[in-house]
Amino acid sequence: MNWYRKLSIKQKQVVWAWSFLAIPVLFYTVIRFYPTFGAIVLSFQNWNLLGAKTWAGLENYQRLVADPVFWKVFSNTFIYLLLGTPISLVISFVIAYHLDKVNFLHATIRAMYFLPFMTSAVAMAWLWRWFYQPVPIGLFNNILSSLGISQFPFLNSTFWALPSVLAPAVWAGLGFQIIIFMAGLRSIPQSYYEAAQIDGVGPWTILREITLPLLKPTIVFLVVFSSIGFLRIFDQVFNMTTNDPGGPLNSTKPLVLMIYDTAFNAFNMGYAAAQTVVLFTILLIVSLLQLYVMRER
Amino acid sequence: MATVELKGLVKTFGKTEVLHGIDLAVEDGEFIVFVGPSGCGKSTTLRLLAGLDEVSSGEILIGGNVVNNLEPKERNIAMVFQNYAIYPHMSVRKNIGFGLRTSKMSKADKEKRIDEVAELLGMTDLLDRKPGQLSGGQRQRVAIGRAMVRDPLVFLFDEPLSNLDAQLRTQMRLEIKKLHQDVGTTIVFVTHDQVEAMTLADRIVIMKDGHIQQVGTPAEVYQKPVNMFVAQFIGAPSMNMLPGKKSSAGIVLNAGPTISESLNSDASGIMVGIRPNDLTPALDNEAALFEGRVKIIEPLGPETLVYVELGQHEVLATVPGRTPPKIGDTIRLKAPQEEIHFFNADTGAAIL
Repeated sequence: MNWYRKLSIKQKQVVWAWSFLAIPVLFYTVIRFYPTFGAIVLSFQNWNLLGAKTWAGLENYQRLVADPVFWKVFSNTFIYLLLGTPISLVISFVIAYHLDKVNFLHATIRAMYFLPFMTSAVAMAWLWRWFYQPVPIGLFNNILSSLGISQFPFLNSTFWALPSVLAPAVWAGLGFQIIIFMAGLRSIPQSYYEAAQIDGVGPWTILREITLPLLKPTIVFLVVFSSIGFLRIFDQVFNMTTNDPGGPLNSTKPLVLMIYDTAFNAFNMGYAAAQTVVLFTILLIVSLLQLYVMRER
Repeated sequence: MATVELKGLVKTFGKTEVLHGIDLAVEDGEFIVFVGPSGCGKSTTLRLLAGLDEVSSGEILIGGNVVNNLEPKERNIAMVFQNYAIYPHMSVRKNIGFGLRTSKMSKADKEKRIDEVAELLGMTDLLDRKPGQLSGGQRQRVAIGRAMVRDPLVFLFDEPLSNLDAQLRTQMRLEIKKLHQDVGTTIVFVTHDQVEAMTLADRIVIMKDGHIQQVGTPAEVYQKPVNMFVAQFIGAPSMNMLPGKKSSAGIVLNAGPTISESLNSDASGIMVGIRPNDLTPALDNEAALFEGRVKIIEPLGPETLVYVELGQHEVLATVPGRTPPKIGDTIRLKAPQEEIHFFNADTGAAIL
């Protein structure tokens, strides 16, 4: 270890830093970057998992653009995103905002909201699937019929199936978002509100001019986080529509499910890889766009 | 401007009573300072006055009107907080203007008023900055500006100088005093720092454990403390307290000497208080009150503080800075008779 003693303090720090970084760097290179790069290459090839890979050029992408299912799936994915993120954020903010002011059973209520976040998505999806069944099985339709209201075709309607699948996804994420929002709310000094109270501004002004601007870092984090979540939605859809994944008539199918189908049902790995590259690009653009829009001015 | 009156003010949090009946009348345009150790109820009193907490019993009058059930905004008061409570995402102009939000002034009048206040506080060129770009003293000024802009009946200050460094604190203290002389609004100021209280106040309210101990001008509370707590809390360094007993010859101190003074009291134990500033070296031809050994010296520049051992007791005395004694020296100390305070050892009350 003689060489180590001769190093300057700065050099020693570098040695230590790199020895700690070595494992994650290796991990990321082998598990993340190499496969990502491999997928991009694969998207220009044809491969059925068993045979040889053949060069396909832009064929996979051309096929993608010409595929009506892809465009349906593409729009589904964005509907999940554009409905899911704002709805879940508004609901979780409203709950967090009021829960912050409740002292009675505060911890218990908070735990109850957080519980779905810890539950397996599969279990939850099947539970909701039961809720949605027609009479005499489904909870919701039983309630409706006992009130004398006609049946609602939750998962059987091409229009309502997507929102029906989205609802448990939103619900599942609420607990996490509420906790983060509450942490954000707690970090705003009480005296800001007291000063506003003395200045005599109304609760609406306080919310708009003080609470929300000061919560901006929290909101940016949650918007990015939840957007990525909704763009990658899979397990809820897959489990709630197992008989016809993504159905009825592809009306609930998100991009990740299409990728899964193409890769592991059709064994068209090149085509699936092309879809992955598209998803990757969308995630990248959406994240960057949000960071740009919400950046500190 | 307005008078402020507190009548039998009581505040309880759950089962704990933290204020036990506060009575005080503040005159119009007066600068009142509440001072006391932490937990004495001074901030609670201020928050009740502001309407941020609800009064448990008793009455608060501002300008002669009972305000117990008025919202903070309806009381026409302004408050400066310890952490300034200025909004980091708003410019100085918006921060100062925040207090005018609900006012019925025209937009132009509001702008004019903000400019006036900014000029008064010497921060016209800072109006477009964000608080993050300001120093601690400038932020404090923004907070004061926001309070001033509405032209309130009463200013409330909640330890506004605690977050500043020593030098800035002295400077802001002066500015607040000057501001009061300029605008003349009634000010209620809370602090735990007795120097701040002495320098700023027209009258000081000394509090302890939810009770008012004494109300008086700085000179009154310094020269005529009503009890041992006030005597030791006001003035730095703190007053020496020596136990003694009453006898026919006067007060016999456990530390030795007898002070010839006939006290109108039947207290069994007497505490004798002498401020370190009044306890000075006796010349060779003068009679000394104490004689003892120097244990520790603390040079301050103009004077030196000397800890003197008197048997089992110890006193703090002041000697001129140029001729300090050495540790281990024997020193003779005297004190003017009129600066010696006597207290009932059991109740702590002053014996006058």
